[in-house]
Amino acid sequence: MEFGLFMELSVPRPWTADSERQVYENALEQVRLADELGFDYIWAVEHHFLEEYSHCSAPDIFLSAAATMTKRIRVGHGVVACVPQYQSPIRVAERAAVLDIISGGRLELGTGRSATWPELSGFGANPDDTKKTWDEFVRVIPKMWMQERFAWNGRMFSMPERAILPKPLQKPHPPMWVAVTSPGTEIDAADRGLGCLGLSPGGFADSEKKVLNYRKHIETCDPVGAFVNDKVLTVNFLSCCEDGDLGRRNGLKVASMFSYMAAQLLSAKEVLPTHSYPSEGLLPALRRESGSPGDAAKAFKGVTMGTPDDVADAITAWENVGFDGINFIHQFMEVVPQQYVLDSMRLFAEEVMPRFKTRDGTARRPIPVSVGAAAGAGGA
Amino acid sequence: MPLAGSLDIRPLVDGSPEVVLDEDAALRVDDVDILQVLYEVRVADRESLVPPALNPTIPPVISFLVYRAKESAFGPFALAQLRLTARSGVRPRAYLISARCDNPALSALLARSWGFRVTPGDIALRRFHDRVDCTVSESPPGVSGLTRTILDVSLVDPVPVTGHDVQYPPGMHLARIARDGVLIPRIVQVDSEYEFRRADRGRPSLNSFDASAWGDDRLVPDIAVSASFAACDMTIAHVRYICNPDIPASEGTEKVSDK
Repeated sequence: MEFGLFMELSVPRPWTADSERQVYENALEQVRLADELGFDYIWAVEHHFLEEYSHCSAPDIFLSAAATMTKRIRVGHGVVACVPQYQSPIRVAERAAVLDIISGGRLELGTGRSATWPELSGFGANPDDTKKTWDEFVRVIPKMWMQERFAWNGRMFSMPERAILPKPLQKPHPPMWVAVTSPGTEIDAADRGLGCLGLSPGGFADSEKKVLNYRKHIETCDPVGAFVNDKVLTVNFLSCCEDGDLGRRNGLKVASMFSYMAAQLLSAKEVLPTHSYPSEGLLPALRRESGSPGDAAKAFKGVTMGTPDDVADAITAWENVGFDGINFIHQFMEVVPQQYVLDSMRLFAEEVMPRFKTRDGTARRPIPVSVGAAAGAGGA
Repeated sequence: MPLAGSLDIRPLVDGSPEVVLDEDAALRVDDVDILQVLYEVRVADRESLVPPALNPTIPPVISFLVYRAKESAFGPFALAQLRLTARSGVRPRAYLISARCDNPALSALLARSWGFRVTPGDIALRRFHDRVDCTVSESPPGVSGLTRTILDVSLVDPVPVTGHDVQYPPGMHLARIARDGVLIPRIVQVDSEYEFRRADRGRPSLNSFDASAWGDDRLVPDIAVSASFAACDMTIAHVRYICNPDIPASEGTEKVSDK
């Protein structure tokens, strides 16, 4: 199993001149520690206008700082909004390449399309088009990286032949992922040979179905890049403490706050009748499994909270579902003290992580799927 | 921290409907046309739009929700509601500002059983090939023989979608309920079920809207969001949950029916 940390960079009110700097500094301290402790990934989201929930609108800049202070951890730029009103795919390819160079070839590129009304309407994007633009972005970005000069005449994006520079350090290109919240997006990921970056904590049954769908479809995928990234990661809340009650209490604080803050954002699906967003994003699973407004987080089965044994048991359950790894939301809105977050990470790395790694420290991988199409994938 | 409502409900309580909780109260209406038009509102103090029991959304959005039925147990009717998007904890809800109805008998039932803050109004819903128009007018209080238009809204250029694409969150209605012989304020959660036959969506077009007449002059539409027009069979279910308007719904929700 692989383990990562998700950075939302949420900033609680009341805001002072120093609030955002403090959140960023705390996050960078967590990144440094995660690197020392052997976490596999650090992911930074891209969100705009989501007051308090996420002040991470320039994740590549945050990750550049993270990259320069770390040596080993993979740098997850994700997910990047593949919506032209937010940014051109050229700029995504360029900035990601810079990040790959600065990080010494540690970039992972997550792709997505935004699901909230404030973001989409804030940029004047048409929610009906985001699936199409995402599809075109993920097809052109690896080509931009691999071809010396690139030209494109597409449905959502066109450009004359130009040299898109710099090129990433990793050859043929960095691994690519898709954020998966809506049902069926795991198939979109698999069909394109992209990693499945689960963002919606859900039940075991739904998750198992998603993983099986992904594994089935990726066997016959037509990769958009030069290779297949056949990993499936899920997301969970991490709070690891020798005092199990304290661990659960603090973990539930993070999970509940995350649920509440995410719930206040209007989803595109909620206000716009569209086929483009079959689900409301992050929260349906929590809403479905909760019996009353206050207990959404409590009802979410398989939370990675409590003693090291509790956390390990939950991870084993997710591993049995078929996931290759878990990205953790370990802090949100600074609801738990920074020292607790760091201690939780240390305890997790000492007591839990070794149970899921092989002796050389690498992740235990499930049986690899056979992907014949990967070898033939090219840039042109 | 999550935004929490701070609306002072005291001025609203006296005029709120008295609800009689009745497990047998349910209203089934077949072949209802429903127009829903959504607009963002720009309000400096979002929290003050909804009671402390509820949480505002980011951004706040008002919906004009209009039902029209050619027949029902009470005869033909049209009902127009002004609602505001909200949350009860993590759950999507719509806080009812006020409603207009052209059927007095149905109005009485809606107020008594579900806490609709409803007054008489003339509601015209017209469907054309390329648009759906709705106007709501009423007689100003104390003035007879004179009507004023308080809403003129349209859906333009409809295109088909499915019923799954259209959402009408449960309503949250400020009302009064008798407890030990005393009327106390409660928010009544109104759950409705819809079986869709057809649904379209289109561009919203707002020609006139009198926010003050609807009950909150701060609700000035800013950005058009969406419009939908659906045909369905509809059931308003009996009330199962009520909540204390003064404290967060996560703490103040009470289940009043297991049925």
